[in-house]
Amino acid sequence: MPNSPLVIENLTFQYRTRPELAIEAISFDLEPGEMLLIAGSSGCGKTTLARCINGLIPRSYGGKRQGRVLLHGKDVAEMQIAEVAQVVGTLLQDPERQIVASNVYNEIAFGPENLGLPRDEILARVEKAMKRLNIEYLRDRETFNLSGGEKQKVALAGVLTMNPSILLLDEPLASLDPASAYEALDVFRSLADEGKTVVLIEHRVEDAISAKPDRLLYMEDGHVKYLGPIHDLPKEIDHHQVKLPAQWVVDRVKAADETVKAVSRPEARERGEALVVFDDVDFRYNDESPLILQNVDLEIRRGDLIAILGPNGAGKSTLVKHAIGLLKPTRGHVLVEGHDTRKISVAQIARTLGYVFQSPTHMLYAPTVREELEFGPKNLHYEQAVIEKAVAESVSTVNLSGLEEYPPLGLSFGQQKRTTIAAVLAMQSKIMIMDEPTAGQDFANYTRFMDALCRPVNGSQSIVSANFAATLFITHDLDLAVTYANRVLLFGDKHIVADGPPEEVLKDVDLLLKYRVRPTSLLHLNLELLPRTGQFLPAEALAAFA
Amino acid sequence: MLVTWKYRPRNTFVQRLDPRTRLIFMVCIIFALTIPEIWDYRIVLPLFFVSLTLYLLARIEWKDVRRAWLYISILVFFIVGLNGLLSGRGGPSSVTNLPSPVLFEVPFVIPGTDWGWMVPVTVSKLWFALNQMTRMITMAILAIPIPYTMDPNIYGTAFRRMGASDKVSFTMDLAFRFLPTFARDLTITMDAQRARGYEMDKLKGGIAGRIRRLAPLIIPVVMQSTVTGEEVIDAMDLRAFGTSQRTWLKELHYAPRDYMLLGLGAAIFITCCVLKWGFGIGGFFVPDFFTQFVVR
Amino acid sequence: MNESKNTWEFGTRQVVYGAIGAALYGVFSWATNIFPLPAAGNVTFRPAVAVLIFFGVAYGPWVGLLAGFIGNTLGDALSGWGFYWNWSLGNGLMGMVPGLVMAAISNFKERADIMKAVGWGTLGIAVGMLFASLTEMFVGGIDFNTALVGYFVPAFVGNLVVVAILLPVLMIAFAAVAARRGR
Ligand SMILES: Nc1ncnc2c1ncn2[C@@H]1O[C@H](COP(=O)(O)OP(=O)(O)OP(=O)(O)O)[C@@H](O)[C@H]1O
Ligand SMILES: Nc1ncnc2c1ncn2[C@@H]1O[C@H](COP(=O)(O)OP(=O)(O)OP(=O)(O)O)[C@@H](O)[C@H]1O
Ligand SMILES: [Mg+2]
Ligand SMILES: [Mg+2]
Repeated sequence: MPNSPLVIENLTFQYRTRPELAIEAISFDLEPGEMLLIAGSSGCGKTTLARCINGLIPRSYGGKRQGRVLLHGKDVAEMQIAEVAQVVGTLLQDPERQIVASNVYNEIAFGPENLGLPRDEILARVEKAMKRLNIEYLRDRETFNLSGGEKQKVALAGVLTMNPSILLLDEPLASLDPASAYEALDVFRSLADEGKTVVLIEHRVEDAISAKPDRLLYMEDGHVKYLGPIHDLPKEIDHHQVKLPAQWVVDRVKAADETVKAVSRPEARERGEALVVFDDVDFRYNDESPLILQNVDLEIRRGDLIAILGPNGAGKSTLVKHAIGLLKPTRGHVLVEGHDTRKISVAQIARTLGYVFQSPTHMLYAPTVREELEFGPKNLHYEQAVIEKAVAESVSTVNLSGLEEYPPLGLSFGQQKRTTIAAVLAMQSKIMIMDEPTAGQDFANYTRFMDALCRPVNGSQSIVSANFAATLFITHDLDLAVTYANRVLLFGDKHIVADGPPEEVLKDVDLLLKYRVRPTSLLHLNLELLPRTGQFLPAEALAAFA
Repeated sequence: MLVTWKYRPRNTFVQRLDPRTRLIFMVCIIFALTIPEIWDYRIVLPLFFVSLTLYLLARIEWKDVRRAWLYISILVFFIVGLNGLLSGRGGPSSVTNLPSPVLFEVPFVIPGTDWGWMVPVTVSKLWFALNQMTRMITMAILAIPIPYTMDPNIYGTAFRRMGASDKVSFTMDLAFRFLPTFARDLTITMDAQRARGYEMDKLKGGIAGRIRRLAPLIIPVVMQSTVTGEEVIDAMDLRAFGTSQRTWLKELHYAPRDYMLLGLGAAIFITCCVLKWGFGIGGFFVPDFFTQFVVR
Repeated sequence: MNESKNTWEFGTRQVVYGAIGAALYGVFSWATNIFPLPAAGNVTFRPAVAVLIFFGVAYGPWVGLLAGFIGNTLGDALSGWGFYWNWSLGNGLMGMVPGLVMAAISNFKERADIMKAVGWGTLGIAVGMLFASLTEMFVGGIDFNTALVGYFVPAFVGNLVVVAILLPVLMIAFAAVAARRGR
C-alpha cells in the first residue's frame, strides 16, 4: 500500500549504549483516520518506537537500526527533519518539557516560524489551531502559569500548526487529572475522525479505550505481543501489567480460574489518639492571593490510612504542607502531637512526620543510596549506631538491598521513588505523608509498590502500618483510594467536603463528579457488589463475588 | 519564593519606544563615557540629566526599585571608597595622585587588626569621587527600568533584529522560558530537603563544609535540568528548529521618536569621541570653583 | 549524538543547554542575593559559579559563554540591579574557557578528568574575572590596584573555592544521570 500514511516493516533498534535490543521485528501499517493504541509496561520500547516514527532515530539517537519506516511511501531515514516534522506531529509525555516559549501565542507559532513561513500564513495557522482546540482564551497567557491540561492543549496546538497527517502521542495523559484526561481523549478522537492517523501510546488502557481506538498494539520487551481489535484481547495480556477495566479483569480471572488470594484490606482499625490536628485553618500564599484553605478542620489519628482526592489546583498539596510546617496557617492552628507548627521548626516536626515529595528528582543528590538515606537521620542528629540500623532496615523494607553503594541518580524511576520512601523511613517518623506516590509510574510498578507499602499480607502488618502510626497520600487515581485507604478525604472549594471510610464517601458519585473525580470501572463494580462484599476490594478479588 | 519578572505594561513614552532603540541608546551612552574616557563634569553632568530624564519617563514605582537603589548606593560608595583607600598607579583615577591640597585625613584600620594607615583626602580625590559617582549612575540608571518596562517576550526578537543569529536570539527567549521553572524547582527542592531536617540557616562548619552543605539544594535542580534538556532538544528538533531561516512573528518598527533618540545617542557618542580625541577636551580636571569652594 | 564531541558545534543542543545554563545561573545568583551565605571578609561565595563552570565543561564553550553572559544579565536584572556589561562578558568568558576542555573529558567520575575540569575552571575564573576587573577601570574609573585587590582577588578566590568544592560533586552526580540516559 504505497499510500498508507505509515508503514513499518520489520523494524529493529538497539541503542548505542545498550547491549540489548530496544525493539525487535515490529511491522504494521495504518490507514488515514485510523487510531492505534500502543500499550505495554514501562521500558518495553514504546518511546523508542515513537522515535523511529518521528525520525529522532536515527537522527538524534545513535544505534543499530534495521527495517524501514515509510511515511506516505518515503523512508524517514532519507527525509529532511523539516519534512518529517510536517508529516508526523509528536506530542511528548510531559507538556512542560515540550513547551519552549514563554507565552502561548509564540508557543503555538513556534513550528511554522522555524519553517520560515510568511507571517500571514503563520497567523492563519495559529488562529485555526486555537479555534480547533477552543483555546482562544489562552492567547495572551504565559505558559508557565497554565494548568497541566491547558499546557497540554497548547502543546497540541503547537503540533497541529505544522499540519501533520500523523499524530504521535506519547503518554499524553500522564500529567492530567482524570477529568482533563477524558477531555483530551475526546479531542484525539475527533482529530482521528477528521482523517488524521493517530498513534496513541498509553499504558492506561482503561482510560485510553474510551477514545475508541481501532486497534491495539501490545508490546512486551520490545516485541509485539498482540496486534488487533481492542475488544477481544487475548488472554496473554497480563492484567497485572496494564490497567484494564475492572469487568475485564474479573472475566479474565474467572476464565483463567486463578485461585484468588484472599486479599485483606486495611481494616478500619480502632482509631487512636489524634496525631495531627488542624484547627479552623485559613491560608493564603500572600496578601494579594486568594484564600486556598478556609475553615479547615481535620484530625489525623493513629491507625488512619488516608487518601486525599480532589481536582488539580484545589489545594491538596497546600493542605498537607501545613502538617509538616513548610507552610504556616494564616489563621487558626496546626498541631503536631500537641505542638503548634508555628512554634517549632520543620526539622523538629520531621522527627514525627515524614513527607515524601511527588518527584524523586527533587530530593536525590547523594553519590550513593546509603548516603542519601543517612541524610535525614544525620540532620536530626541521631546517633551513628541508630542511623546505621535505621538505614539497613529501610533498605530491606523497600527492597533496595544490594544497591546501597549505587548512585541514586543512576537508578530507574521506580527505584528512585523507593529510595525517597526509604529516605523518609530511615528518619523513623511516626506519620507518613506521600504526595502522589504513583504519578509517572506504570501500573505493574506502582501496584507492587503500593501493595508492599499499604497492604497487609495474611494477617501480618503492612510496611506502613508496622512502621507508622498513620499514613496519608494524595492521589488522582481513584482506584488507589478504593483499594488501599481506610479513610477518604475529598478536598474542594477550599475545604474538606467529605471525610469517611471509602465505602461511604465514594458512593456519592455525583459529589465525586462535582469535584472532577471520575468514577472508575473498579468503583462502579465495587459499588454494585458492595452488598455482597461488605467492603471495597481490588479487581481480582472481586472475581470471587461477581 | 516565586520568581516574578517584574514587567507590566505601562503606557509611557519609554515603553512606546522600540526595544532596540533603548538598548542601542544605552550602549551609546556607556560607550560615549567609557571609550574616549570622558571625565569632564561639563559633559558628564548633561549626560546624567539625559539618563535621569529617561529614567523618570519610565515611571516605575519607588517601591519596586528601592532595593536596587540601595544596592547601587552601596556599590558606588564601596567602589569610590575603596578607590580612595587603595589609590595607586594605573587607570583613570591615577590623576588623583597629582599634587593637590589635602583636606583632611581618614584613618583606615584593617578590621580585626590595629594595622592601618592614614588616607589623605585631597581636593582632586574628592572631585574625582563626585564625578565617578555621577558617571556610574548615569550608566546604571538606563538599565534599571528595563526589566520593569520591557516585555520579556520581545528580547529575542529585538536581538534578532539587531543582527544576532536565530540561534543566539532564541537562546535568550528560551532562558526566559526556563527561569520561573527552575526557580520553582529550587523552592520545591528546598522544601523537600527541609522536610528531611535540613536547615539552611544552620549551616555549620568551616567555609568548605558550609559550601559542601549546599549540594543537597544545587544537585537535584541542576541534574533535573540536564534531563529536561534532552527532551526539550527533541521537542525543538521535532518542530524543525534550525532547519531554515526563522520567521520571527513579532515585528518591530522604528517610529520617528526612535529615530530621534537613536540620532541623539549617535550624536552623543560621536561628539564625545571628537571632543576628546580631536580637541583634547573631556579629560579629568578640577574646576577652580570647586577648589575655592572646599578649601575656603 | 555527541559521541564525537565537536567543541565548536552550535546547534539545537547548544541553544537549549545555553538557555538552561543561563536560567540556572540567573536563578542561583539571584537566590544568593536573598539567602545568607558564608562569607569571609571581602569575599562572598556564589555557588552559582560552580553550575556555570559545570555547564561549560559538560556542554562546551558556546554553552558556557551564553550561560555566563545571559545568566549574569538575568541574575542582575532579576535583582533589579541594572546591566553591567563588562561583568556579564566576564562571566561569559568564565563559562567559555572551561568549555574548551569538553572534548577531553570522557568520564565524569574519573579523578583525572575531574582534576582537568577543575584546572580549566580555574583558568576560566582567572580570565573572566580579570577581564571584568580590568574593564572596570574604564567603566567605574577605578585604578589598577583597586581593580586587582578590590575586585579581582576576592572574586577569584571566592569563585575558586566554590568551584573546587562543588564542581567535582556536580560532575559525579552527572556521571550517574548520564549513564542512565545514555544519549
Ligand atoms: N536514550 C536512550 N539511550 C539508551 N537506552 C535507552 C534510551 N532510551 C530508552 N532506552 C532503553 O530502551 C528501552 C526501551 O525504552 P523506552 O523508553 O522505549 O520504553 P517505554 O516503553 O517508552 O517506557 P516508559 O513507559 O517508561 O516510557 C529501555 O530499556 C530503556 O532503558
Ligand atoms: N507558592 C505558591 N504561591 C502562590 N500560589 C501558589 C503556590 N503554590 C500553589 N499555589 C496555588 O495554590 C492553589 C493550590 O495549589 P496546590 O498545589 O495545593 O493544589 P493541589 O490540589 O495539590 O493540585 P494538584 O492536584 O495539581 O497537585 C493553586 O491555585 C496554586 O496555583
Ligand atoms: Mg516512554
Ligand atoms: Mg499537588
